[in-house]
Formats: sequence, structure tokens, C-alpha cells
Amino acid sequence: MTDLPGYPSRRGFLKGSAAGVALAGLAVSAKAQPVEPPAPLEEYECAYFTPEEWAFVIAATARLIPSGGEGPGAIEARVPVFIDGQLASDYGRADDWYMVGPHDPAADPLLGWQSPLNPAQIYRQAIPAFNAWCEGQHGKAFTALDDAQKDAALAALDNDEVGLQPELRDFFTILLANTKEGYFADPMYGGNHGMQSWSYIGFPGARASYREWATRYNVRYPLGPVSIKGERA
Amino acid sequence: MSKSLRIIAALAAVGVVGGLAFAFVPVQTTAPVAQLPDDWKPAEGQGKYVMYASDCLACHTADGGEPFAGGRAIASPMGTIWATNITPDPETGIGNWTLDQFRAALYDGIRADGAHLYPAMPYENYRKLTEEDVRALYDYFMHEVPAVQNKVEETKLSFPFNMRFGIRAWNWLALTHDAGFTPADGKTEAEQRGQYLVEGPAHCAACHSPRDMLMAQDGVSVADANFLTGGVVDGWNAPALRGPDSAPQKWDVAEMAAYLATGRNIHSTANGEMGLVVEHSLQHLTDQDNLAIAAFLKGADGAPVEMPENFATLETRALPALDADDAGKETEKMLTEAAPDMALGPRLYLDNCAACHFVSGKGAPEIFPELAANHIVTGSEVSPLISVILNGAEVPSTAKRPMHLVMQGYADRMNDEEVAELSSFLRKAWGNDASAVTAAEVAAVRAKQPH
Repeated sequence: MTDLPGYPSRRGFLKGSAAGVALAGLAVSAKAQPVEPPAPLEEYECAYFTPEEWAFVIAATARLIPSGGEGPGAIEARVPVFIDGQLASDYGRADDWYMVGPHDPAADPLLGWQSPLNPAQIYRQAIPAFNAWCEGQHGKAFTALDDAQKDAALAALDNDEVGLQPELRDFFTILLANTKEGYFADPMYGGNHGMQSWSYIGFPGARASYREWATRYNVRYPLGPVSIKGERA
Repeated sequence: MSKSLRIIAALAAVGVVGGLAFAFVPVQTTAPVAQLPDDWKPAEGQGKYVMYASDCLACHTADGGEPFAGGRAIASPMGTIWATNITPDPETGIGNWTLDQFRAALYDGIRADGAHLYPAMPYENYRKLTEEDVRALYDYFMHEVPAVQNKVEETKLSFPFNMRFGIRAWNWLALTHDAGFTPADGKTEAEQRGQYLVEGPAHCAACHSPRDMLMAQDGVSVADANFLTGGVVDGWNAPALRGPDSAPQKWDVAEMAAYLATGRNIHSTANGEMGLVVEHSLQHLTDQDNLAIAAFLKGADGAPVEMPENFATLETRALPALDADDAGKETEKMLTEAAPDMALGPRLYLDNCAACHFVSGKGAPEIFPELAANHIVTGSEVSPLISVILNGAEVPSTAKRPMHLVMQGYADRMNDEEVAELSSFLRKAWGNDASAVTAAEVAAVRAKQPH
């Protein structure tokens, strides 16, 4: 699988729209469909996040899967859109989770969800708490830090060094998990825009038809991916 | 000639002859073709069996309605015909009908009150029923079917089709064959039994024979040149059952019988109207009768008939997926290579269809039908293929093969242009050779679907 060419090296909000244009250019070939360039992330209308939360999620996911490497970053893949949609839906509300408790923040994570808060509530309460920690450390909110500071702050968050309340302890865990999910999930959920991450890793998507390839060892499968809704890349 | 012109021509003929007939000749009904003793009684279950073979249920029962209580809308080129209540209810059904009146409906298309039935009632075919089967059927409807009081909507076609006397003239021109059944000479008992079922109760010719200028069945007996050479019903091709490319000639007798009895065999599945025929009628026939039908179809034009001992048996066995035949090798190779620069049609096939129907176009035996040389794929009518792609298809559960098979629809996954590209590809793939499909044709089928 070849990498999608043409990613600008600069990070930031412009990335999403720039990558969209690059992708639309690619789509002229017979194999893929034209892709409408999506609205830039800063113009996206959130289903769940407030503007401050939205800016944080964009900045945080852009560090967790950075742009400028070989494949698409979280911004090109529109991971924040995926997370916003998930938090506004049954996942965010923990609709079908056991939420009665007891919840023990000291319990092994393998014992399951140990917060009375659902994921949407955790994002809502943890983002300002984490930003307050960043203010205390650097005098600035997370979004205003430089990349090295952001990475250090996220590492501190991951290591439980930012003093979050016990019921928020899983914030980094779900933020990282949701970022990966948004990167690799089907585009119908808002992330993995244009199936860029599938193309990058050579995953052919929802085709489910490789019978004649099962015995072709060490031969690269040539076709690009297809999404659940039938989009081609 | 277009259908509308044919209807006009038919109308003109019906008008002229009908006027004369109506003016000068009293209505007559056909006498029994055999004299049975007055105390003749059908065997246990015989009448119900004739009912299954004749598929009375399919038309005379509304969706969700009581069996045989009528009320189903039958689409016809002339307008909607409402199937009548044939339960023994004396007021709204046929409880007051005599045997002679019942026979006249089957043989002559004449109601007990003397009015003519519309030929949506296949009396062209029921005319071939033996007197034993007529009596058994009458006995069944009078004594075994529960009476249901259900007044169904009166069929009201627009002028001139509302002139039921015109049907009388139509009968003069269309109903020229004798009542009763004449077995073909030199055939086995099984083939003759199959001929009887096909020509008579099962009324296969109602769909599988073409319609002539009068919209009558062009071929009601195996001796007729056009009998079972294929028809078009409501935008669907009822495929030819005769000729070298027909299923009865390409499949062996056991495969054909399996298709009839279970709606599936190693080649194909019964969808749409034929799926209903399998569900409501053919699966209820004995194995011997389904073999008889298959044997008759195989030997109708002289092909040797090899009778199997059984079909669609219950033992566990592996049915390997087939490779493409010679005509399909090129398409199979192209799809196997999966080159990114392939045309959109085959790309859509790989993205949407190949997981079940395979690059060979051969499908999976008894589950997914072959698309190579599949008459729905290559038919003169393209709307069935488009409809299956957009809306999916179903194969009914049957006694010998209980699995209800469902294909999903792809209306949400492909737009009109894509469905047209895919359809056009299918109609040329694996040696198929049929015309291209346009996006406008897809749009027309999509617009018909309730959302």
C-alpha cells in the first residue's frame, strides 16, 4: 500500500481541509469516488462539545496521532468529529453499561468501569481540570502550549500526575482509545475520513471477499478499501 | 408491437366479434369430460392436494387474510382485479354453487350467475383438469375449507374492460382447446403425469408461455409450438422452459425437481413470483410429482430422460463452490486480479457482490444463485435485476430445505449510476450477453419502492 501523498507538514486546523482537497484530487482516478472536501474542523458544528472542549480535543488528538508522518494524522482523519459523535450517542451516555456501582477508583481496570460518570461527563469535567493543571504548570491552557509541552502534559495525564478526581481517572485512557477508534473506524462514524487510515495500513475495508487471495502468499492485495456505505478509496 | 397497440388490436377484435357473439349465441358451459358414478368420493386428502397443485391459495387469499376468502388485488394490464372469496360461505363465497357451476368456473371461466370471469383466473389451464380432480377440488372447497364471510371488492375495470360480455368473445378466440387432458404419446407414466400437472393444475403456461395478440396464452399444450417458451409478467421475465438454453435442458431431472420442491438447487434460487409458487404450491407436492414435472420438462422436446431415485436428500454433504465455466474464465480472471484500474462495474461487483456470488459468478450451491446465464441477470426486462440489487431478494423456507435465504438490498450503498454500471457489467460478464442498463432505468425502479 502506498501512502497518500501531499500532506502538508504544518499542523493545525488547516490540516483537515487541506487533506480533504488533496484527497479529492486523488479521487479522479477510476477506482475511487470524488470526495467532497469536508468543512474545516473549526467550522464543524459539534453535537456534544463546547467550543473550549472542541479546541482541546483537536489539540490533544493532534498530539496522540500527529500529522506530518507517513500516514494521516488524527486531524486529517477527522478523529475529533468521531469523538464528538460518539459522546453524543449511546456510548457517551453509557446507555447500555452497568452504572449502578459500587465504583472503586482503586480497583483494577480489568474489573471494569469504576466511575459513576459516563464518558461524556468525564470529558466535560476532566478537560477543565486538566486545563487548570496546565495553567498551574505553564500559565496557559493546553491548547496554547507548544508541542513538547503538550506531549509532556499528556504524559503526565497518562501517569495520573495531574491530580484528577478519582471518578475522572480513566480520562486519558478513553481519550486515547477514542482517538484510535476514530482513526480506524468506518467513515460512517465521522472519523477515518476518506478511509485514509485504512489505505495507509492496507486494510481493504468492508469488502469481505478475498477467497481467491487466501492462498496467494506474499502478494500485495491491490485494491483500495471500501466503506460500509460503499465509498471507494 | 408495443403492449398498448396489442391491447388496442385485441380490443378491436374483441369488440367486433364480441358484439356478434353476445347478440346471437346463448352461453354454454362445458360438460364433464368423464362420467363418474354418483357415489364417487375423492380419496382422503385428494382435494387439498389438487388445491396445492393448482395454487388456489396464492390468488384467493389477501395478505394477512383468511385462506381462500379473497380480496387480493391482482395487477393486470387492464387494471386491478380483485380475487374472489371461494370459501363455502353461501352469501359472499361459493357455498351455493353446484358442481356444474364450479366446473364451469374452472373450465369456461363462467361464474354461477353466468357472468364471465376475467382470465386472470387461469381457466385456460384449469380446463385440463380431470373430472376426478374437479370433483375432489369441489368436495374440498365445500366440505373442508372453513366458510368465511368476507365480501370482497367488486372488480371495476375501466371501459371497455368492464364489459364482461367481451370476455365471452375473447373465450371464443382464446379458449379453443378441448376440456380435459390428453397425454402425449410414447412418454413414460411419470412424464405424462408431469405433463398433466404442468398443463393443467399448476398452470405454468399462465406465466411461462408468451401472450398472443389477444393477451391469451400462446401455447397451452406441449404440442403447441410456443408452449412454455417464456413470457413477461408485470415487468418480470418468466423464463423459457423449452429450448437448449432453458433450465430444464441444462439441469438434470433431480436438480430441476429440487428447484421446484425447495426453491433452490446447485445453480439457482426461486425469487419473486416463482418463490411464491414454491412456497404455496410446489413444496406441498409429492417427490414423485415434482420429479414427474421435471421429467416432463426434460423430455418435452425429445431429450432423453434419466430418472433419479431421489433429490434434495437429507444426508450431510459438502457442496463445493464451482469454478467458472469456459465462457466465464475471462471475467473470473479479471475479477481475481483485482487491478485498481478496473472499470467501475467490476469494482462494484468486488465491493458488494463477490463475497457471496464469487468471482466465478457461480455462487454457492443451494444458497447463492449463479449469475452466469441467470435469466434475471440477462432478461429482456431489466427491472427485476435492478430490483434485486436495490431491494434484495428472498427464498422461502420449504419442508425439505428449511433455511429462509435473504439477500440484502443495496439501495443505500449504491447510487443510480453505480447500480447501472454494476447491472451492465453483470449482463456482459461470464459470457452473458445482454444490453446495458441506464441510470434512468434504475431511478425508475427506485422510485417505485416504498420508503
